[in-house]
Amino acid sequence: MSIEQQYRTKAKELLSSGEVKMVIGYGPGSTPDRRRPLFITTPDETDRLVLDSACIANLSGYLVTEGLLSDEKRVAIFLRPEGIRTINILAAEAQLNSDQVVIIGFDSAKNEVTALKGSSTEDFSVLIESMRANTPETAKEELFEKIEKMNPQERFTFWQEEFSKCIKCYACRQACPMCYCRRCIVDSNQPQWINTSAHTLGNFEWNIVRAFHLSGRCVECGNCGRACPVNIPLRLINRKMAKEVMDLFDHFAGTNKTQEPVLASFKKDDSETFIL
Amino acid sequence: MTKILFTDKLDNCIERWKSAGRTVIGPVQKNNISTYDTVKSASELDLNLVLPDRSIKELFFPQSEPMLRYTIKKEAINTSEFLPPSGQRIIFGARACDASGLAIDDPLFGWDYKDEYWFQRRNESVIVTIACTKADDFCMCTSLKLAPDSPKGSDIMLRPLENKKGWQVEELTERGREAFKTIADLLQESNEAAAPTITVPEKFDSTACAEWLKKPENFESKFWKEISLRCIGCGSCTYLCPTCHCFDIQDEGDTYNGIRRKNWDSCSFALFTMHTSGHNPRSTQSARWRQRIMHKFNYFPGKFSANSCSGCGRCTRQCPVDMGITETLQEISKLSQ
Amino acid sequence: MTENIQNAAQNIYKPAIMKIVARHDEAPGVRTMRLEFQDPAEHDQFKATYRTGMFGLYGIYGEGESTFCVASPETRKDYIECTFRQSGRVTSTLARSDIGDLVTFRGPYGNRFPIEEFYGKNLLFIAGGIALPPTRSVIWSCLDQREKFGKVTIVYGARTVADLVYKHELEEWLQRDDVDLVLAVDPGGESPDWKHRVGFVPTVLEEAAPSPDNCIAVLCGPPIMIKFTLISLKKLGFDETNVYTTLENRMKCGLGKCGRCNVGSIYVCKEGPVFTAAEVSRMPAADL
Repeated sequence: MSIEQQYRTKAKELLSSGEVKMVIGYGPGSTPDRRRPLFITTPDETDRLVLDSACIANLSGYLVTEGLLSDEKRVAIFLRPEGIRTINILAAEAQLNSDQVVIIGFDSAKNEVTALKGSSTEDFSVLIESMRANTPETAKEELFEKIEKMNPQERFTFWQEEFSKCIKCYACRQACPMCYCRRCIVDSNQPQWINTSAHTLGNFEWNIVRAFHLSGRCVECGNCGRACPVNIPLRLINRKMAKEVMDLFDHFAGTNKTQEPVLASFKKDDSETFIL
Repeated sequence: MTKILFTDKLDNCIERWKSAGRTVIGPVQKNNISTYDTVKSASELDLNLVLPDRSIKELFFPQSEPMLRYTIKKEAINTSEFLPPSGQRIIFGARACDASGLAIDDPLFGWDYKDEYWFQRRNESVIVTIACTKADDFCMCTSLKLAPDSPKGSDIMLRPLENKKGWQVEELTERGREAFKTIADLLQESNEAAAPTITVPEKFDSTACAEWLKKPENFESKFWKEISLRCIGCGSCTYLCPTCHCFDIQDEGDTYNGIRRKNWDSCSFALFTMHTSGHNPRSTQSARWRQRIMHKFNYFPGKFSANSCSGCGRCTRQCPVDMGITETLQEISKLSQ
Repeated sequence: MTENIQNAAQNIYKPAIMKIVARHDEAPGVRTMRLEFQDPAEHDQFKATYRTGMFGLYGIYGEGESTFCVASPETRKDYIECTFRQSGRVTSTLARSDIGDLVTFRGPYGNRFPIEEFYGKNLLFIAGGIALPPTRSVIWSCLDQREKFGKVTIVYGARTVADLVYKHELEEWLQRDDVDLVLAVDPGGESPDWKHRVGFVPTVLEEAAPSPDNCIAVLCGPPIMIKFTLISLKKLGFDETNVYTTLENRMKCGLGKCGRCNVGSIYVCKEGPVFTAAEVSRMPAADL
């Protein structure tokens, strides 16, 4: 039985037994290479689910939108390893109760999908540890290396050009599971901390503030860059911040559901002398 | 016999137009995205795209438009106006869906109060549209009763030749005629055949959709929640759409000096209709998706006799969760049977 | 269809500058301002276009603009009066402004109460709390031409005595013998020396039982009050086409372009804010 078939059966069982009220997974998109999020609530609909290497998006953001989990029922969700880390972070930041989440884990490499055993985040702690150990390996992307070799002036010019494309649509924020603030800083108007205009200042402010707000929280799922309508390589900024956080604080986001947020917690033996 | 503009003359044309005081703009690839931008020579243009990623509306309705500069003193407030930048422009290589998008928005920006920022730019721009010989899975102009060579909103229609060496020239408006007088001697009379315009299959029945949307009982249909479950309210569709025109007015500056600007906004944003009291008439994503569809295919045509959509397909092409207008209207077409 | 109101090549987003010449605290958090034009041409434009019912965008450069009705009637166009509750960024700054300060005004926009169609009829005004301002504009337009109308009844209620606005004018109307003013506060909102009614507006209205014959009703209030008052009006025999109300919505441009204020297909800034109850019942309630 293919993994897709296995997981369809699993989803069907979870729904028919009443263990979950919904399965969030992937379905075919409007063209053969596209996949879209699916929200299945009845066992017979599970045949619509697909699972292949084109299923890339991190779906965990849906768990924290519009009160999906507020009825205390359980939801099953197809997640890649980054998605599983996301659940840990959302639980650590008190945005969801991870007991309500049944994880249907999978990974893919070179067009092959592998099943990941487990259903709650603790089952994947070994996997996440190995991800942490492998971080230097996975960070060998061409463009990232190119930017690493630039001096500060060159980097500034590079990002200035990229940010000049930004149209302040905030798709990056909407697509990101970690951007769950009820009222985002850009939506505050007393005072208007960040301009909504897409001029140089406004674009820098937004993108840099978002990168800072994600430091130590981003799992590099890539939802942001895929959502960006003007193809800004956003994931690279967040990757850089993740690297910095690792180097400075030895912090890998999403290892377990009680991990304290690195920039939002204070210990007496922190190297800085003040909470800021 | 028709007038032909051969591609090897394009550089000369651009020179002529520039010498006549016109800025030449066209589709370009820049920084991993395709858009309409100023060009100095034909080699900068990319005329092989299905259509640029970013839409032509940015040339007429920029993301951020400074309107008024204010300086506040105790006894007086001094304001100076930002006028839209003036200067003749020729947009070479627009697509019919982009050009018609502009024509669709004209009555809105002129509804009783004329928005000079829009109209000054419109009056100073000549749109030279190139009919499409290819389309992708997301194009849907024909579903909106438009076409890959629809003249709506265009001043000149160029039809690519079969031998790919140039275009047949069709003058559509006085403005187009004027602009092409400048390059009249660079055109040649010839019998060269035009390539067939691509056939774009109709994807939904827009008339049936309009009927379904008008019925008051369908406003509260469960359909809206079902179809929009995956929408994340990202605003990409709005911002890339050639006809979307919602905006916000923001003052930027400090207590005594600043600029009042008009910035893009989107009805799919959660806080778009939020009252200061905390009441939000459209507090769920499905209510906002319904507003988007109703506005484009029911309210706008009710006032301005045209759907607020030109079928360019950017919304679906770009949507990170594979939404966009096509599927919703296909489902509504089915429901209206 | 509205006439083309704009002068040629005018920047439609540019506001007029107004000076605050008087201010009055009506109730906790509620302020009335009287504004005067500084530019005679802008004042002439206002005098030529303003009719009761229209609204404006009042603002402060640096903060933004906020939408309220014009609370002064079309019979008194030397100034503009507006009443607002301090609730957000712009209104808080307006509330901190003083006499002599300059603010901006963009308008008047929207449609109007068809006052000529009310000639010869009896008038019933019903308002709740801070919704008296738009009603007051109509009341004064009528009282300034009192002979043109029949019986005038005003039913006005607020949560507490302190929340009643235009307290001086309420006194005036009580004294007039050509106006029947019924004042009420919600149960629990009365003061020890309160001489008037106690009860919610719909209840008080039904007790007053004005006749629907040859009568136009103008009703303004929070959505919940409107809902129940309409039920009461129906009970009393009023037809929805003879009941006028105003709608509010979040606005930015006021010109029908920013796409924000529509309820269903109706743009409150262009086809409102004045509607008959019949028109409102045809709008999708889920969009209100």
